[in-house]
Amino acid sequence: MLAAGVWCAAPATAKNAVILNSDDDSVSIIDTASYKEVSRSYIGRAPHHLMLTPDGQRLIVAVAGGNQLIFIERASGQVVQRLEASDPYQIGFSPDAKWLVATSLRLDRIDIYDGKDYRLVHRLPARRTPSHIGFSPDSSTAYVTLQGSNSLMAIDLASGKPVWNAPVGPQPAGVQVRPSGTVLVGIMGSDHIVEVDPKDGKVLRRIQTGRGAHNFLLSRDGKVLYVTNRVAGSIAALDAETLTVTAVMAAPGGPDDMAWSPDGEELWVTGRWRASVNVIDRAAGTLKATIPVGRSPHGIFVW
Amino acid sequence: MLDWLLGLIDEAQGAIFEHVLQPALYQLGLMGWSDELFDGVGFALFGALEIVLAYLLLRPLEWWRPVERWSDRRAVRTDVVYSLVNRLGVVPAILFLLLTPIAAMIEGTLRFQGFIPATLEQLIPPLLGWPLVTLLVYVVLIDFAEYWRHRLQHRLPWWWALHSLHHDQRQMTLWADDRNHVLDDVLTSVWRGTIALLIGVAPAEFPLVMIAFRLVENLSHTNVRFRFGWLGTALLVGPQYHRLHHSIEHARAPFDRTMGCNFAVIFPVWDILFGTWRRNREFPRTGVAELAGASVRCGYLRHQLEGLRRLGAELARMTNRRRPGFVAALSRERA
Repeated sequence: MLAAGVWCAAPATAKNAVILNSDDDSVSIIDTASYKEVSRSYIGRAPHHLMLTPDGQRLIVAVAGGNQLIFIERASGQVVQRLEASDPYQIGFSPDAKWLVATSLRLDRIDIYDGKDYRLVHRLPARRTPSHIGFSPDSSTAYVTLQGSNSLMAIDLASGKPVWNAPVGPQPAGVQVRPSGTVLVGIMGSDHIVEVDPKDGKVLRRIQTGRGAHNFLLSRDGKVLYVTNRVAGSIAALDAETLTVTAVMAAPGGPDDMAWSPDGEELWVTGRWRASVNVIDRAAGTLKATIPVGRSPHGIFVW
Repeated sequence: MLDWLLGLIDEAQGAIFEHVLQPALYQLGLMGWSDELFDGVGFALFGALEIVLAYLLLRPLEWWRPVERWSDRRAVRTDVVYSLVNRLGVVPAILFLLLTPIAAMIEGTLRFQGFIPATLEQLIPPLLGWPLVTLLVYVVLIDFAEYWRHRLQHRLPWWWALHSLHHDQRQMTLWADDRNHVLDDVLTSVWRGTIALLIGVAPAEFPLVMIAFRLVENLSHTNVRFRFGWLGTALLVGPQYHRLHHSIEHARAPFDRTMGCNFAVIFPVWDILFGTWRRNREFPRTGVAELAGASVRCGYLRHQLEGLRRLGAELARMTNRRRPGFVAALSRERA
């Protein structure tokens, strides 16, 4: 079942970007120095998101249609483990690595696994379309946006029970928890993000970023917060402290997930609708390169 | 060439979605449907490509060696409308919106009970990494299920009431493939969706499987005097093979509708295995003997209403055995 060779040809060890092409069932490997696609290979059906294991040794690819979590070893680029999971779409580890949460967007459900042995601990219904995941700094609570219900849901991880489910705005997407514990949510059906009180889900304030506010990425020094705006085709840079917008950069093609280049100077972002990855110069805010990849590129990770 | 064409479709799909449809979804508060509509645009563009390809590849065959020539092709125009409505996504979009939430609910409930349908790659690990081979295996499995659905369409009187719409065309051309009642399309979708769920076809791949079916189905309805030869006929359903299935004589004994022949959609092997293979070199006339006139030679909407009327008559007969079904009622009117 491990099927060595799924992605063994690619030198996946250093300075490569890993892109999941969700409509092509493939993974693209891009050399971040030359901006060239080194390889594109089959990974499993409908791969959407990926992340590192807490020990930094393995990359987990959530293959929604294939019902699997695929573990790829960082050093060798080999598939080392496949875990059966039910329609895993987004995945996230709690900060203490005790829990792994997976959402099933299509089947309206959230699975909570043990972060060490990946045993399924809780499975709870979440109507409708549970999407992105965030965690409280103390790892006690997971926050999940319910895109179809226009709400944010807080779940107590130990008991697997919902704590609150509060309206935040139309089609909420990305979740970013601030050091203070307040929760930021991208409101994809509108042009802003909201800051939410972690106690009860009450919206504290709205910050305009651009139409189709979707996902977040913090700069390496933690001082700038970037927000993709799907419909506007842009990325807004916000002061992470005050949440004031300091710059807006063009990112055509339905910008979705973001990652930093190895030196932290380039913002890499997937363009869902144009089968490409855009590379943006962080300092200048200009589009540096557009790299063609497979259809509907979604999750991105840069080694 | 193919890469260039596919690249062009991808480019068009991205541009249409990004600049026209996504802003519209945003305005309507429907951003949650982005992925589905994006795929829908691809579906419609592929449908348009299918129509263009079918026209360019198969229409010349109909000019070259037609089985039948007609001076009045009005009846064919209705089938062109059927093709446009189906392939450009109007009917599939309605089906998708109606059925997807129900399918997700059923699948979600099943998984809550611990049921995760195994994908083929999990059952047969060597398939992993060979998506095209996997796809071919799916095509074979779905074709097997399609054979039996088709048998039921002819066997069950109420289903035949709907399916008779497909068969009542006496001017069978490459466009006749999509001539089906919307309710029949719903039943077909439920059938295929259930099979796909059971054998674990990922939703993203399903349209690809369907494209394979449509190409063969277009060819098999083409009005061309052409046979695949003795071996080819046993391997792939072709125009002459399927024409025998549409033969007008099937309305009469011994080949009445239920005892008809050549039900296979892509692979004739199912007819061979289950004893419904009829092998000869004829190119019979097509249609249903009892069905003719305005109820057959009419436009899209009237034909759809006619389907409802036939279904209603059949359901009435089922609840009251003394009432004639739609075929009997029609024969009596004509007599």
